[in-house]
Amino acid sequence: MERDWQFWSRRIIWLALAIATAVFLVVKIDTRMYVSKPARDIYDAIEAVPDNKIIVVTCNWEMGTRGENGPQTEALIRHCFRAGKRFAIFGWAFPPGPALGQQIAERLAPTYGRRYGRDWVNWGFNTGGSPMIRGWAKDIPGTIKQDIILHKPITSYPVMRGVKSARDVGLILDITPSDTLSTWVQFVYGFYRTPIGYACTGVMAPEAFPFYDAHQIVGVLKGLAGAAEYEQLMGYRGDALKRMPAQSSAHAVIIGLIVLGNVIYFRARRRGEAPGRRLSA
Amino acid sequence: MSRTQAIARGLLWVAALAAVAVFGIRHHVFARDLGVWLAATCTLAIYSILYRENVVFRLFEHIFIGLAAGYSLYTVVTQVLQPKWFTPLFVEGKWYWIFASLMGTMFYSVYSKRWSWMNRLAAGVFMGLSAGLTIVGFVTGLAPQMMYSFKPLWQRTPPYLLFNSIVFFITVITVMSYFFFSFEQRHPVVKGSARLGRWLLMVAFGAIFGNTVMGRMSLLIDRLQFLLLQWLQVFGHR
Repeated sequence: MERDWQFWSRRIIWLALAIATAVFLVVKIDTRMYVSKPARDIYDAIEAVPDNKIIVVTCNWEMGTRGENGPQTEALIRHCFRAGKRFAIFGWAFPPGPALGQQIAERLAPTYGRRYGRDWVNWGFNTGGSPMIRGWAKDIPGTIKQDIILHKPITSYPVMRGVKSARDVGLILDITPSDTLSTWVQFVYGFYRTPIGYACTGVMAPEAFPFYDAHQIVGVLKGLAGAAEYEQLMGYRGDALKRMPAQSSAHAVIIGLIVLGNVIYFRARRRGEAPGRRLSA
Repeated sequence: MSRTQAIARGLLWVAALAAVAVFGIRHHVFARDLGVWLAATCTLAIYSILYRENVVFRLFEHIFIGLAAGYSLYTVVTQVLQPKWFTPLFVEGKWYWIFASLMGTMFYSVYSKRWSWMNRLAAGVFMGLSAGLTIVGFVTGLAPQMMYSFKPLWQRTPPYLLFNSIVFFITVITVMSYFFFSFEQRHPVVKGSARLGRWLLMVAFGAIFGNTVMGRMSLLIDRLQFLLLQWLQVFGHR
């Protein structure tokens, strides 16, 4: 009986979570987000990029975190297209990243009348980590060489006019579930003062704030909630805003389960059925 | 249950699912796109682990690992090796790129007892490079963060910023005192400070865990949205 309950209790919790989430995905609810300062700062940073500089959209993510990094990438690329800012898609942590970024850019480009090569370019994936980034910052065409869509030298594209080093980059947007930010900060911001915006998964968000606090990055988008804030700023209802009611519902279920679990534990402890220990330093 | 019975039961399940699928497609309940079906099958197969360990999950897990490895290899060959090493060396005639392949090949000498010293040579070069970069990274990355951790407590700032600075100050001091391991923490001030530091660390871990839960839920929502709206096309979402 006890083993049966242990087997089924977990499955009941997962089912409850799935139902709580699914209901709010199907029912349309108008969600409004409070836009935090770190998200607004990225928005302002994109708007402030001068015409003679390029934005680097680093898609350092893969399918495993599409749920968070996908809407972030879409919101940021949409902003670049809408504001008429030229950009380059790049990646050096996960091989599929630049291809996923390209899919999003190609889907959005017709809406804003943008063209590959003139408004954006895909530098593709590059290996080498920190030493590569150090070399990239000094000599972008020498490190990247050719794009991955038409396989032509990147200097042959109009979007690359005047782009030679990190000094010609107006903003780096690092979209990632991984610790790539420290490399950007240490080897690009540290030497060239190129502004960096960080769009990370929820797990990575707490680690970003020492960088934000020290003004080493201009802003932070925290997971799906960050993408929803950005969509609110942009004034369109994308995937992130549509998913927020489901996210809130899932959080409510989890909070309820934590409270329930604690009530059950403390009642068992009072009856002497569960072990208890006071924390000491 | 015998092997024949298990196979018969499996086939019955496949037939039942196929019948539901055909009915669903004919009546526009399910998507008609093959790609959507493939993605839905993969998602459901992976989620089947939530019920219990099973052969379908293991099959798709191996497919995913194989696909990821294959895709990574393809990307590295076509986007890195071919344009950045093969073309300069063999097409453009930049002979000095041969040194890159020599250095790379030295790593593989680890498989030979006679030549394994070459692997140590290559590893040593890269370790030295990494150590140098780490020192540079410390100066450009961490030093400014340490500098900004000295926040003014008496400056004319809005009350909420002052409150933030005080919380930050208390957290830094108490958490650092918790990590004093060079001597025994006997003095009541040090002991109390270390205890508060430990509680504040737990608050931070709680915040990190909360963000982790948020992240995991976002990933679940992404898949559920796909299954409900793109595959099942619930309430006419197409």
